Amino acid sequence: MSRLERLINLTAALLHTDRLLTADDLHERVPGYADDRNTFRRAFERDKETLRDMGVPISVGPLDPDDPNALGYRIRRDEYYLPDPGLEPDELAALHLAASAVRLEGAGGVEALWKLGGAVAEGGPVAELAALPGAAHLVSLFGAISARQAVRFDYRDATREVDPFRLSFRNGHWYLAGLDHTRGEERSFRLDRIVGGVTRVGEPGAFERPAVTGRQPPPWLLGGDEPVTARLLVDADQAGWAVSQVGPTRVEERRPDGSVVLAVPVTNRSAFRSFVLGFLDHAEVLGPTELRAELVEWLESLCHA
Amino acid sequence: MAGVAVPRVSADDRLRRLLALVPWVAAHDGPTVEEVCARFGCTEQDLVEDLELLFVCGLYPYTPDVLIETDIADGRVWIRYAEYFSRPLRLTPDEGLALLAKARTLLAVPGSDPTGPLARGLVKLARVVGVDPDEALEIEINPVATEVIDVMRRAVSEHRQVAMEYYSFGRDSATSRVVDPYSVFAASGQWYVSAFCHTVDDERLFRLDRVRSARPLDATFAAPAVAPDLTVYEPQPDDPRVELDLEPAAGWVIEQYPVERVEDRPDGGWRVRLVASERAWLERLLLRLGRDARVVAGPVGAAQDAAGRLLSRYR
Repeated sequence: MSRLERLINLTAALLHTDRLLTADDLHERVPGYADDRNTFRRAFERDKETLRDMGVPISVGPLDPDDPNALGYRIRRDEYYLPDPGLEPDELAALHLAASAVRLEGAGGVEALWKLGGAVAEGGPVAELAALPGAAHLVSLFGAISARQAVRFDYRDATREVDPFRLSFRNGHWYLAGLDHTRGEERSFRLDRIVGGVTRVGEPGAFERPAVTGRQPPPWLLGGDEPVTARLLVDADQAGWAVSQVGPTRVEERRPDGSVVLAVPVTNRSAFRSFVLGFLDHAEVLGPTELRAELVEWLESLCHA
Repeated sequence: MAGVAVPRVSADDRLRRLLALVPWVAAHDGPTVEEVCARFGCTEQDLVEDLELLFVCGLYPYTPDVLIETDIADGRVWIRYAEYFSRPLRLTPDEGLALLAKARTLLAVPGSDPTGPLARGLVKLARVVGVDPDEALEIEINPVATEVIDVMRRAVSEHRQVAMEYYSFGRDSATSRVVDPYSVFAASGQWYVSAFCHTVDDERLFRLDRVRSARPLDATFAAPAVAPDLTVYEPQPDDPRVELDLEPAAGWVIEQYPVERVEDRPDGGWRVRLVASERAWLERLLLRLGRDARVVAGPVGAAQDAAGRLLSRYR
């Protein structure tokens, strides 16, 4: 009798039952355990741990309201069964391709695809196209996001309690965005700056995620400054990159030497200044006059520092 | 047992596979052995062993009427009377996260179809994981021109040389180069091509957002037998460092830059140490920070020099 056989029979018994089963019931019904009670208990505990590590939701409950020590076990089907996502073959193949072409550091292998109906990609091995670094707490925070349950962790100087909304991978780092209870507003936290562990607090389903409206606008549009349309000249060397950052619809003029003039709407002038300064001396604010003057003033103050 | 040395999967892995394989086979009318093995990544021998094991599993009291029935005949497989295994086990949070993150990453590849099978599959998958894919997870890879990534990817698969104009961000200079592109990939939020560069006669990594133009050449090259192990820049112990005093308003630098050391200053603000191997990189940082930063160790005149150079464009 192999342990694998015992684990299958144990899972089947716990899934099939409509009532809680005691350890004694399971000792009797599942073959492959030692007769000795203590040996059985140790093996049963280990089996439960193995199944829970795989994600099998074994629930435990009191058998008798007057006796908190008498416990029973079962697996609720609605907690175990994966709802059918209804994937079309081409969709499953595309997901399989993504799973092979992208590496997420620390993430498991192909088991998730087995659950969805197995690998259906054609051809040989897929060249890796992208790698995402892993991060501590990534999985536990994602679990909390999907359960909509608050989390508590230490971050820099303080303990934070946060409704976790979203994980973002930006500039090569993982961030958590969520409602910071102590500060009463949405904040971003870099995962690698979380100190110690992440614990879930409160009940699942405790909040609604706010809707995200499309793509995050560029930083120079995230502000309350008087709206202005900046005209920015970017030299040929950096023109392509600049256009990819502001979008091709912002190109006002393409000059014969390869440089471009961009018309960029701005409501956050300091963010726009940072964008412009990133070009060093390969870009120039042509107008409006006040914006040009502000930049000159900024540079002059640095010269005289 | 098979005669060849095949790495044995652990009992846990076999159980994971069985719990996924049983519902799939049971829901299909005798799929072929070949298809089952391909889908679940096992050999025919593995499958036969798994079916033999299932054959003696079932419910108490394990009489024939409550045992799982398995059958292989004419190259087809059947599994019956396992209705409690009628659905696979739910995805664990790490499985759900990994699949969604990978799918989102691939969708961030320039030129990918935002309404194609991957995008549709992602939406369906996210629903069973219990999240909205647009709201719960966001993967940002710095955008690059579709033409550039297309030329490079095609050149990689055809082993074709590419002539490119490349702008070196750290040195703030542009060069024309001929490269043999080995592979295109995204790492740390950026697209790269690893290539043999004929200009420097060595292997190099190039960021695709800095490729101003790329043109495939007729010349081909022999791909290296072993892909070079090039890694994205990581600070080295002997790279130059710079120490800055930051005002409280410049605290974001600590979040967003690879700061090696942070000390609180008695008058508020911080003293930080950063790796600054390239002058242009440091200039950008200092220009942006303005008077909220001061170099206390390293090139103390960097901000003034750079500001003076920029100002000459405005005079």
